[in-house]
Amino acid sequence: MSEIVSLLAVFPDIDPAAQAVDELRRCGLEDGDINVISGIPVTEAMLGRPRQWSNVPRLALGGAVAGFLIGMFFAFGTPTLYPIYVGGQPLYPGAPSVVVLFEMTMLGMLVATFLGVFLDSRFPSYRPKEYVPQISDGKVAILFRCPIEKQERAIQALFALGAESIQPAEAQVL
Amino acid sequence: MSEQKTLYSPSSSVAHSGDDELEHLRREHLMLDPRPRGEMNAMVMEAMLTTSWKFKLVFAFMALVVIVCLFGVWGYLIAEGIGVAGLTNPVYWGIFLVNTVFWIGISHAGTFVSALLRVFKAEFRRPFTRAAELLTTFGLVQAGLSIFFHMGRVWVSYWLFPYPNERQLWPNFHSALSWDFLAINTYLLASTMYLFLPLIPDLAMARDRSTGWRKVFYRILSLGFRGTEGEWTHLRIAMNIFAFAILPVMFSVHTIVSWDFATAMRPGWNSTIFGPYFVIGALQSGLAAVAMVLVIVRSTMKHMTYFIREEVFDALGKLMLVISMAWAYFFFNDYMVQWYGGDQFTEKLLHFHEAGPLGWMWFAMLIFNVAIPWLTLWNRKIRRNPWALFAIGLGVNVAMWLERYIIIPLSLTINFMPFTWRMYVPGVEVPLGIGTLAFFILLYMAASKLIPLVPVWEVQEGQLAHTVRRVGKEVVVSVAEME
Repeated sequence: MSEIVSLLAVFPDIDPAAQAVDELRRCGLEDGDINVISGIPVTEAMLGRPRQWSNVPRLALGGAVAGFLIGMFFAFGTPTLYPIYVGGQPLYPGAPSVVVLFEMTMLGMLVATFLGVFLDSRFPSYRPKEYVPQISDGKVAILFRCPIEKQERAIQALFALGAESIQPAEAQVL
Repeated sequence: MSEQKTLYSPSSSVAHSGDDELEHLRREHLMLDPRPRGEMNAMVMEAMLTTSWKFKLVFAFMALVVIVCLFGVWGYLIAEGIGVAGLTNPVYWGIFLVNTVFWIGISHAGTFVSALLRVFKAEFRRPFTRAAELLTTFGLVQAGLSIFFHMGRVWVSYWLFPYPNERQLWPNFHSALSWDFLAINTYLLASTMYLFLPLIPDLAMARDRSTGWRKVFYRILSLGFRGTEGEWTHLRIAMNIFAFAILPVMFSVHTIVSWDFATAMRPGWNSTIFGPYFVIGALQSGLAAVAMVLVIVRSTMKHMTYFIREEVFDALGKLMLVISMAWAYFFFNDYMVQWYGGDQFTEKLLHFHEAGPLGWMWFAMLIFNVAIPWLTLWNRKIRRNPWALFAIGLGVNVAMWLERYIIIPLSLTINFMPFTWRMYVPGVEVPLGIGTLAFFILLYMAASKLIPLVPVWEVQEGQLAHTVRRVGKEVVVSVAEME
């Protein structure tokens, strides 16, 4: 089995980076071996990359359901646990319960959405990572893993497309 | 069919420098006047890191006011008891709650400006969403503090938390006060998360350009963000969910605050329109506060004239005018129905508002909330004059504070028992109110030196989406849908 190397190519803009992704595919690299890092949200469509999977919407839905159930407990469970009739009002009033259900559902959904970003992005993560600070200055970097025998061809192709630098991807403290 | 030719794409920096029309557009719109990302980063960092002696002086003064008026007087209130406030029969809700409602109102602006304009993809929002979101978070801090003052026995504030006491008795979740607790905390949490999510990439930018303790600070807060495809995707989806979901939460908060009053069978309060009337009032004061903050940020921080241009004040001025009209509509609706009802106590209360010893408040409220905005904000020149907008915004905020004063302590003066009628005279409420204002300013000043006030990545994304093209003989701006 051939040795795999990790490389980080830095491009000045999105267009050459998008072409570079195509070129790497032509070199025989799989989409899973390529990751684009940028200082602005560059969509999959711009790069011609497969759609990224995100659990955030599902987690948000799960959070909403959990929040709703907690709201149900507050609105209907707590008066059942310790019934107190206040001013002749019903123990399980409809409209006032809607308020509690709404607030708890929204709270559950938003907290789950927030935590979803942390879970899906594996935040916080302070271990060293492959990165160059020029990325936050507007450069677009392509981090890719390729068999050593394809390395030369990939490097030549990426330089031809306008790569400013291609270097072995070394993890560094951010 | 007319020819549609792209003249230049701001992101590509290819411009026709000789074309006056293009030059005018570029001066006018930040989205059409791009600079390299590195340069914009450097500008925002410099604005954050540069601290003048004037800044230090104001900061020290605010800190002194906070120590004396907020913590000092609060300590006195705790030591002596709530009797040192001016609260007495029949007015048990005074300036503490006026300030609570006022600060919650201010807090509506950040979310409204940021989330609603994000949902509708209003491009002028990009440079100032964060400055507005900070208003929300810090405004809610002051609202929470004001509730603590009002409590008096602040050390038992945990009784509000939803858990059973020693006798297994839970709080009553069908009470408007429990809703307040849930709604305000939901909003505080949601707005803080909504502030933090789009901040992560800018914190990473600051991390890459910092040294020393700032490097450690930004490294911790940026959570290890690099800008991978996955990170951006999760962030984008989360921000979209937040933008849509936080709006109904925002509406619910001030509606629930209004129900603290409207659900009581009192003259002047028991109104079905109080919910939307309060929400629109919150937007009225909040938008004015955003305009005021932006004027100060623009005139005191370096490079902000590049990011915050007259187009921003123009757009905010239009929004303020529309919201002022909506406020007038709701005010009149509320007034009209109560006046027509003919209840003798309500009639007396309305007369007391207009012609009582504090009648000037009622007229000042209408003048600054309605007359002045309507007479001025239709004018493009005035809207584009930052200090004119600042003055109008200040007037609106004073008027909105007076409105809350009229609704709470002034309305409590007149009830169904004339022998209890008595004017409210505030005590420690005044210095504590000044203390919360100073604390708000202090927090904002500190934040402006700790976090990038302009979301640089959002600005660059917007600039990337804009192009200028010619349709026939006219030069028009096009915005691409990039999400």
